[in-house]
Amino acid sequence: MAVAPPSRSARAAVLASSVQRSKPTPYPSKARSALIRRAVVLALVLIALALITISFRSPTAGALHDVQGAGSTALRPFQIAATRVAQPFRDAYNYFSSISSTKSENARLKREYRTVRQQAIANRALAIKVQQLQRLLHLEQGSRFPADYQAVNAEVTSFPSGPFTHTLEIAAGSSSGVRLNSPVVSGDGLVGIVSNVEPQTAVVTLLTDPSTFVAARDVQTRVQGMVHTGPGGTLILDQVPKQLRVKKGDALVTDGTHNARYPDLYPYGIPIGRVSSVNATDTATFLQVQVTPFASLSSPDAVAVLVPKKQHR
Amino acid sequence: MTFGDGVKAAALLFVAAVVQVSIFSQLHVFGAVPDVLLVSLVALALLRGSVVGAVGGFFAGLLVDTATLGTLGLTSLVLTLAGYWIGRYGETTGRARAHAPFLSVAVVTVLYQLGLLVVHFVLGESAPAGAVVRSLIPAIVLNLILTAPIYALVRRLLRPAARDELTAEVQLLG
Repeated sequence: MAVAPPSRSARAAVLASSVQRSKPTPYPSKARSALIRRAVVLALVLIALALITISFRSPTAGALHDVQGAGSTALRPFQIAATRVAQPFRDAYNYFSSISSTKSENARLKREYRTVRQQAIANRALAIKVQQLQRLLHLEQGSRFPADYQAVNAEVTSFPSGPFTHTLEIAAGSSSGVRLNSPVVSGDGLVGIVSNVEPQTAVVTLLTDPSTFVAARDVQTRVQGMVHTGPGGTLILDQVPKQLRVKKGDALVTDGTHNARYPDLYPYGIPIGRVSSVNATDTATFLQVQVTPFASLSSPDAVAVLVPKKQHR
Repeated sequence: MTFGDGVKAAALLFVAAVVQVSIFSQLHVFGAVPDVLLVSLVALALLRGSVVGAVGGFFAGLLVDTATLGTLGLTSLVLTLAGYWIGRYGETTGRARAHAPFLSVAVVTVLYQLGLLVVHFVLGESAPAGAVVRSLIPAIVLNLILTAPIYALVRRLLRPAARDELTAEVQLLG
């Protein structure tokens, strides 16, 4: 038997002994727990697969379905209790959610309303323009349109800016065939006469301008006269002797050319306006006939310039 | 795991399943539903290991399938595997790490959704992959929000297991 030196401890002596160490065992607890673990999981997976198979094959009948129904019935009170406990919170959530959704819906509806309103306004504006263009087309295609004239259609680009301005600017000029002193009409009647021409634009002096004089004829009584702006700024039919008869409501049209030497600028038959009042005084030589123009002179959107097919000498 | 812990774990999963089916299943946030049951199962599996996780997942899934009258065993299968996998993660590496619950919940949320999708697809049921994929990120975020309070609650409910109760991959001798 070996004797340990005095300086060495008893534990060191044990470690140093020649006793054979036992071979490492495979840790039975570890191996067992891993086996149990895997067996449990495998069993649960197999049971789950079996349940799925049975439930899938007979979803509405069978013992498993009955068990599931009973289980569901048993769980129902707990579910109801949970639902009731959560109800106030759910109500609060729904309240704030509805406020949020209402706000967003309100904003969306406002945006839609703005878009629809803009479209409606645009449509109404277009409808007015279409109406005017239709009347203009009707005039151009009608039998009253002078045969030896052709129409140059043009958009109005600027309107009379005040009571002292009696001109329009149109988006058609000499390049389109517009000439100086060409009569200008809208769908309702005579508008004026071209007083200045540029290549792409032209200026139209309106019927209400003091410098404009138009030979006119009453289509009902065939009385002739001269339409121009009177002292009060209104249109009048002048030069009608008192013994002739003009009635309120009579329509006036352009009289056209009678003298080949001095051709009229306006062809015969363009509607000018309607007689709005007729007065006669003892001192005046002529009747005082006031005329309301057919054409809206302050805001025509589209007009046609009547260009003679043959150039006058 | 003691008998008392088992009762507590069962009660926890029961309440979580009922709450999930009755309340949380109706909360749709960005197309996703917060899953309080899954988060509870992850917390339980992390704290009590793979066997408890697998068994808990199986019975929680059974409760859900029973309450919703769905295909019995479908949720059980996926939750069993989820509980087992998280339990193994807790036993081997993740138990002591602070980020373990959050990492586990994020990963399991994805695997759980995809697992359910696959099982539904295999069974020939409706499996809207696009909707599931789109709801993954919101679902992860919602579940991560739930993780901290639920993990703290489960940890308080079930005291951390003694070291010798756990299954360990490495056993010290001597």
